[in-house]
Amino acid sequence: MAQKKGFQMPLEVEYPKELEGWEEMYPPMYIFSKDRKEWEGKHFWFHDKIHAPEAMYPLDLIFQEAWQISLSQYTTRVFCIPPAQGIAQRMVGCYMYITPVAPPPQEIIAEKAPLFQKRVFYIFDHYDELWGVWLKKFKALGEEMNSIKVPGDFPKFESDDTVFPEPRGYYTSYEVIEAWDKLVDLMIKGWQYHFQYLNLAYLAYLMFGDTCRKLFPGISESTIGKLVAGAYVQMFRPEEELCRLARLAAAVPGLAKILKSDMSADKKMEALKKSAEGSTWLVEYEKSKDPWFYVSCGSGWFHYEGSWTTKLEIPFGYIKGYIERIEKGEKIERDLAGIDTARAKLAEEYQKLIKTDEDRKSFNDVYRAVRTIYKYAEDHLFWVEHWFHTIWFDKVGVFGRLLVKRGLLKAPDDIYLFNRFEVPLLMEDMATTWALGEGVPSRSQYWQAKAEKRKKILEAAKKWTPIPALGNPPEEIAEPFTVMLWGITTDKVQDWLKGMAVVPGEVTELKGFASSAGIVEGKVRVVKLLEEITKIQQGEILVCPTTNPAWAPVFTKIKASITDIGGLTSHAAIVCREYGVPSVTGTGIATNVLKTGDTVKVDGNTGIVKILKRA
Amino acid sequence: MPYTLWFDKAGKEAIGLVGGKNASLGELIKADIPVPPGFSVTTETYLELLSGGGMKEKIEEILSRIDLQDVASLENASKVIRQLMTEASLPKRIEEEISFNYQTLAQVFDVPNLPVAVRSSATAEDLPGASFAGQQDTYLWVQGSDEVLEKIKLCMSSLFTPRAISYRIKMGFPHEKVLISVGVQKIVDARAAGVMFTLNPLNGDPSKVVIEGNWGLGETVVSGQVNPDKFVVDKVTKEIESTISQKWTECIFDPEKGMVCHLDIPHERQEIQCIEDQEVLELARYGRRIEEYYGCPQDIEWAIDKDKPFPLNIFLVQSRPETVCSQQKKEPVLGKKSAYDLLMEKALQRIKIGS
Repeated sequence: MAQKKGFQMPLEVEYPKELEGWEEMYPPMYIFSKDRKEWEGKHFWFHDKIHAPEAMYPLDLIFQEAWQISLSQYTTRVFCIPPAQGIAQRMVGCYMYITPVAPPPQEIIAEKAPLFQKRVFYIFDHYDELWGVWLKKFKALGEEMNSIKVPGDFPKFESDDTVFPEPRGYYTSYEVIEAWDKLVDLMIKGWQYHFQYLNLAYLAYLMFGDTCRKLFPGISESTIGKLVAGAYVQMFRPEEELCRLARLAAAVPGLAKILKSDMSADKKMEALKKSAEGSTWLVEYEKSKDPWFYVSCGSGWFHYEGSWTTKLEIPFGYIKGYIERIEKGEKIERDLAGIDTARAKLAEEYQKLIKTDEDRKSFNDVYRAVRTIYKYAEDHLFWVEHWFHTIWFDKVGVFGRLLVKRGLLKAPDDIYLFNRFEVPLLMEDMATTWALGEGVPSRSQYWQAKAEKRKKILEAAKKWTPIPALGNPPEEIAEPFTVMLWGITTDKVQDWLKGMAVVPGEVTELKGFASSAGIVEGKVRVVKLLEEITKIQQGEILVCPTTNPAWAPVFTKIKASITDIGGLTSHAAIVCREYGVPSVTGTGIATNVLKTGDTVKVDGNTGIVKILKRA
Repeated sequence: MPYTLWFDKAGKEAIGLVGGKNASLGELIKADIPVPPGFSVTTETYLELLSGGGMKEKIEEILSRIDLQDVASLENASKVIRQLMTEASLPKRIEEEISFNYQTLAQVFDVPNLPVAVRSSATAEDLPGASFAGQQDTYLWVQGSDEVLEKIKLCMSSLFTPRAISYRIKMGFPHEKVLISVGVQKIVDARAAGVMFTLNPLNGDPSKVVIEGNWGLGETVVSGQVNPDKFVVDKVTKEIESTISQKWTECIFDPEKGMVCHLDIPHERQEIQCIEDQEVLELARYGRRIEEYYGCPQDIEWAIDKDKPFPLNIFLVQSRPETVCSQQKKEPVLGKKSAYDLLMEKALQRIKIGS
């Protein structure tokens, strides 16, 4: 095959010995296979650093499985974007690779076109009311997940009230199995909803970008982003709620004193309960908490990130900081109205520069369309990846503890070492041994040995650097997400090909997307794992595989951000623009090339990062 | 009719008297643009020059004898006419008026023998092929009343370069219908200078201002003798995309030789940005203002004064309509399409990738 211009073929990848057995952690369709060699070899597979930058825990793969189906079906079977197909996933040594599927035959494209037209234009016409309906539906789904009752333990004997006046007919064994199945079903369903309007939002954004470039050939990508970005984005609401609570507390010296202290969050809550004012404040805290503190400390994609509801030190830490800033007379809230006005003014000024009335009319029409639907791309994020996922992790935690209590696993989080098709086996084993009566062994040793082995494989995988891509780069891509979210373009692929021959120490310049304007110089901090985010110092430049909005408060600390992966509407790009922090996304190799302490110049206007001095 | 007119007293309504270039300086001043001060010597003065000593008739006679096929006859006629004009004297009262204006200008700046630029400004600039009038003549660093008067006559005689004469004959354009005025303008002792377009001439992008500049006077940029520094400024976001070139030569006035010279730029200064970002933004701001004032894209010459502090050091020396892009028909680039048309187009598009 065309080995020279492409990457290694999937089946040719060699894995370190320590990774042996990694395949069994994931469903069989996720493994590159001889029986699908021809189809797989024709595609171009790249490491999805956006959704799976790290070695994948088998149960965390559920979100990926869910988006593969959902994203793809909206493109191929629902909204029928004519030449585009879905995005397929594979695992390569614990890392997830994806590919945009090659375009369908011409006759399928022709069949899809009228369906697209009929369905998509309808959505654009009715988006405002449809968003309300979507949110109501999605909240109901989350509430349903929240209301799943997971038994805390298996009772020695079922209680009387399950027998009188009429035996219930099903008991704890079934309840556990049912609860797990329902939890999984709801997660998959939530992800079906996730893409309801997202493909269209991205498509509209791409269309708007084209329109801008036709009118203003030199317009920067970051300006296009700024024109589209809304100020009233739901993802920023958690931070606003923190500001609100900080203001309430700052007004009462006694409360402020407790919240500013170095006590743990639990101790602070106890101390607050002792006064009437403190109790009132805690009521307000609870009001904000549901739903706004159902926020992941990371992207929402990994169980080990934790959330503001499980890691209380995080919201309480932010509140402490805000109170201190209020007391210094600083303004802590972002001026949303100001951001919105600035955006409107920006659009107005470009609009004035358009030479003909016909073009102005088209531009206004396009702008209205993209502004309407793009809100979805910004707003769904909080509800799905954060609120909904936080509920999921809370529930999975209950199952994890139950498995430990029944002796099947050693630690609650070990449940994440089993994929979603394997967990029902654990449930079945647990329920069966309980039902069989006293003294019946489960296969706990089998499960625990598996968990141990998988932990070791994942540790080894973390130390292994997967290659950026496999197979042959395609001649064309028609799949909107590939371009928008992952930033896969001809240049990117060429850079990757070049990058494989590059010695990291010899690189002097990186090129990526100019995703948030501004130029700064400073020292970098390379953050490859999410836990390291807390090490960031004031004024450093963040270098990471990809970022996400829950890191928002970090963005007030950093001077700029550089990512390996991510297009103009990647989370990093959006959040940097919101905070006015210069950003270059999609450099491909920043985390490999840069070392903490290197001095660089980040140019968010041109997308170029210059390495000025090595640490 | 006045023989001289200060720039700020004559805008486009006075184009017949002061010519296109001077009238445009008057317009710039009206639009609150910092233009180096000066005055026009009007077409009335030109007519006075011709009417002295039967010169007009002599010129007509010489012109009538030209054989266009014979290059030597054309060259000779031009030479004789230009000599006639430069050797003639203007009426005393006009000479005095010009001297008085020059001295006034020198007093304002408190510089005796103030260096000025003397430039021709023809009245036929709005005609197609306007360059035929020979109005390209410019004399830099002219000092003292006598030299000013001499260069004014030289500029006026530039209406009779061989090229200008032959062009008018070929086009059947009567010689006496083309009049010329001359501008006398305080020269900017430029640290850096260059040109500015209020759109990107490369791709017609109306949201950009493109500024090109070099150290010293603007001649090196205008004539393309160096690769200038280039700044593309977004009119809305004010983002600057800079390209700093290696600039090896600059034009400056050499007081010892008493003339404008080309000097090699020392190595350490060759790759230094010749204007600061704040100056780039200030220039772009003026560029936009001029464009808005005229309602069409402009091609502007500018200079940054050596000694004055920012922002008083910024001067715009000349502005004219940008010719290439603005003469293209204003066709809608989006083809009158709606958002849905464009969305459908985008949905059908495939993005080429790979080699």
